[in-house]
Amino acid sequence: MDPDAVAKAFVEHYYTTFDSNRGGLANLYQDGSMLTFEGQKIQGAQSIVAKLTSLPFQQCQHSITTVDCQPSGAGGMLVFVSGTLQLAGEQHALKFSQMFHLMPTQQGSFYVLNDIFRLNYT
Amino acid sequence: MDPDAVAKAFVEHYYTTFDSNRAGLANLYQDGSMLTFEGQKIQGAQSIVAKLTSLPFQQCQHSITTVDCQPSGAGGMLVFVSGTLQLTGEQHALKFSQMFHLMPTQQGSFYVLNDIFRLNYA
Repeated sequence: MDPDAVAKAFVEHYYTTFDSNRGGLANLYQDGSMLTFEGQKIQGAQSIVAKLTSLPFQQCQHSITTVDCQPSGAGGMLVFVSGTLQLAGEQHALKFSQMFHLMPTQQGSFYVLNDIFRLNYT
Repeated sequence: MDPDAVAKAFVEHYYTTFDSNRAGLANLYQDGSMLTFEGQKIQGAQSIVAKLTSLPFQQCQHSITTVDCQPSGAGGMLVFVSGTLQLTGEQHALKFSQMFHLMPTQQGSFYVLNDIFRLNYA
């Protein structure tokens, strides 16, 4: 399958899950996964999902502006995303950039090994 | 050496070289290196440096706002940068995000295997 199509499909799945069922993100991380969220470092699927489900907003909607991907070597894929994040009740959307390092699972899917998220302040 | 310190040192070296001697970046890429620059995909040190030295400005200055890093597996390091780029003669600086996947060289240094650059438009 075309890598760009794979990256796009993953990104859509990730943010749809984030926006509708944040607890469901647990399937996309494993024990060795790492998240750096606005400079805070978190390791392991459990801690990562605990962090994401405890973010101080109930509802949000991600809109994706750009998706770039490259093979990372050793079968992995790097995905670089920029977009906006609208929190329910807030007047202005936040801008963000995020990178994922995806590794293949034995079932033919991908999980997130590395995840770095930054808001882009104006 | 502390990975965060390594990442910071690399980032400073990269942007200092970019801003003062763009052709000198050739030492930081190899034949298998990949750059995606504003969506355009380029492969190999020679083509990458040709692209960067042909960008439509003579002088520029990068200012780094954030640097995040994580080990990528297989000895590599992912570095995620955000900052601003001031072109000489332009009134307003551009905002950008960039990610590097660094791999160790035999000499104990790093080269850029993956490089993705995006401007963050307001």
